[in-house]
Amino acid sequence: MPKENQRDTLTEKELEERQNAHPFAVPFLWLGNQKVIDNFIWLPVIGMIVTSFLGIVYYQKHPAPWDVVPGSWAIIGFVSYSFIVLCAKPLTALLARPEDYYGEGGLPDPDVSTEHTIGDHHD
Amino acid sequence: MIDLFQINPGLWMVLAGMICALVPKGDAFALLRKAFIIGAPIFAAVMITQIYTSQEVIAGKMTIGGLELTTLRIDNLSMVWGYLFCLIAVLNGIFGFHEKCRITDSSALVYAGAAIAGVFAGDLLTLFLFWELTAISSVFLIWRGGESAYAAGIRYLALHVLSGVILLAGAIIHASANGGDYTFNHIGLETLGGWLILIAIGIKCGFPFLHMWMQDAYPKASITGTVILSAFTTKMAIYALARGYVGVDILIYIGAVMTCFPVFFALIENDLRRVLSFSLNNQLGFMVCGIGIGTELALNGVVGQVFVHVIFKSLLFMSIGAVMYRVGTAKASELGGLFRSMPFTTVFCLIGAGSIAAFPLLAAFVTKAMIISSVIYEAHHNSGLYVIAAMLLFASAGVMEHSGIKVPYFTFFSHDSGRRVKEAPWNMLVAMGLASALCIFLAFPWGGYQMLYSLMPYDSSGYTPYTVDHVVFQLQLLFAAISAFCLLKKVGLYPSEKRAEILDFDWTYRKLGLGIMRWIGAMWTRLGAVITRIRDNAIKGTGRRLYQMFSPAGAMSEAAPSGLAAALTAGMLILVLIFVYFVR
Repeated sequence: MPKENQRDTLTEKELEERQNAHPFAVPFLWLGNQKVIDNFIWLPVIGMIVTSFLGIVYYQKHPAPWDVVPGSWAIIGFVSYSFIVLCAKPLTALLARPEDYYGEGGLPDPDVSTEHTIGDHHD
Repeated sequence: MIDLFQINPGLWMVLAGMICALVPKGDAFALLRKAFIIGAPIFAAVMITQIYTSQEVIAGKMTIGGLELTTLRIDNLSMVWGYLFCLIAVLNGIFGFHEKCRITDSSALVYAGAAIAGVFAGDLLTLFLFWELTAISSVFLIWRGGESAYAAGIRYLALHVLSGVILLAGAIIHASANGGDYTFNHIGLETLGGWLILIAIGIKCGFPFLHMWMQDAYPKASITGTVILSAFTTKMAIYALARGYVGVDILIYIGAVMTCFPVFFALIENDLRRVLSFSLNNQLGFMVCGIGIGTELALNGVVGQVFVHVIFKSLLFMSIGAVMYRVGTAKASELGGLFRSMPFTTVFCLIGAGSIAAFPLLAAFVTKAMIISSVIYEAHHNSGLYVIAAMLLFASAGVMEHSGIKVPYFTFFSHDSGRRVKEAPWNMLVAMGLASALCIFLAFPWGGYQMLYSLMPYDSSGYTPYTVDHVVFQLQLLFAAISAFCLLKKVGLYPSEKRAEILDFDWTYRKLGLGIMRWIGAMWTRLGAVITRIRDNAIKGTGRRLYQMFSPAGAMSEAAPSGLAAALTAGMLILVLIFVYFVR
């Protein structure tokens, strides 16, 4: 009876989550675990470090000037990505307007849309 | 007897679309339409295989009004687009199998058929005809998006018809400068016609400041409509560039800008279908840049990138479409945690995201690098191109942001929105599954990418995508981008998704231009009122003066003294005498 034993150890919330989830999603519900989310960062960081070291051994066959710096593509990726994301705040202040700004109304795809004109947001 | 091999294969799909428009409503007839929508592209593909025999085929020649038209030209370049459009039309047909809409079915077929016929056009006038047909047939897919899509559809139609008109003007001027030759080959920028044709193509493929229709119309179309729209128009324009403007330097810079600017808009956009439209714009930039470089490696990269891009971009639009079908919205602020309800769609979306971000073993890895490498190779001779290469790398990190991370993360992971919905319908899953399988197969190291490379116009045997350095450096970029995302999210610097309308360059005509026109309208009305008042006053004043002068009570009716009357009569007689003297 291993399955029943396992069920006993689950909290009520977890049981409810399992019941509401798609059967194929049940084995992957751990992806929503806060601990997993918090520690996920290590995966790409380790990947970045390992590939940066590998890049020293397996260097570019047709290097660009920046490829003399070890881990050049990692630096480009990290700096570019961060720059793009950090531009969000000023760009939002400059370009964001209320959703009904153009006053064209209507719902996107009226056959299925459940959208309302006002809604909340989350992080 | 009609020779079927003289007929442009795209026309079979246009014909099927017209038949679909005549098929009555009802479930049984809907199945018949679905048979057409899946069968017609397959038939068109079979016709291509029958017509094209590894050498350029020119057929369907006709003379109209003294102009010789070549309605069918299949060579190693147009053949790729032809097969690709047939393939994606089948996938789109499967994706939209549940939708029993006569308008969608018929316009999708006519649109795809026109795009195929356009890429097989051998002259600029035939191209113009199908260029306009793609615009007119596709607008119905936008209008199927409902009330909110109406104005966007009008704007889309206006810009695309304008593009066609500019194309026609350019074609006439270009042909005049070339002894009346309308053949669609290399055009270049030596003539005014060449510039006009480039602008026409630029509208269709989203050059900076001409791109707005894409992000305006695509997210407002119906779910199936957006998926269909994303595949044809822009890629037809890329074909036209690859045919007419190879090696034109200005395209390198236009393409590089195209890769970069959408990244910032996609970052702050909340509507994920709009995010994907910006992403589409960004990917087109890589292709435009490659065409500008114009080397064999770059053009192979462009052709490969077009092929895989149509598939993975459709896959991404399909996955967000499936979410919208079940949840009712595609806004990131309303989504999250859907991997619990839609696990298959999640996996397909992740494959699409990995493909566009160029992860090893997934589609764009074997094609995008060809374009970037070609820029770096050329930069060895022209060091200014290193700036372009750096821009493309920057844009690659941007692709990872909006399509690689943002779309799947905010839809399927992130904050749990609490929405528990059904998995996508079977037909959507089949379409997404096939597209995912293609994304994996076309990058598969053992026999997969080689098949893709065999479609390329030039010998690609000298290029191997799976070298250790390529895999390592690409992974450096991608891992670094993901690390930056995790870090910025952890420290709270990653922006939250908020419902908003993000202004783009279309503000100039949707607000500023509209405001100016309204002001002109108001001024015109006022001016009209002032002119009317002045005219009325003038008429009234003249009437009053005439009345005062000639009425029975007027000045002329007053009794004059006899002396004055005699002087007036004498004066009048003198005038008559002078007149008669000179006239004689």
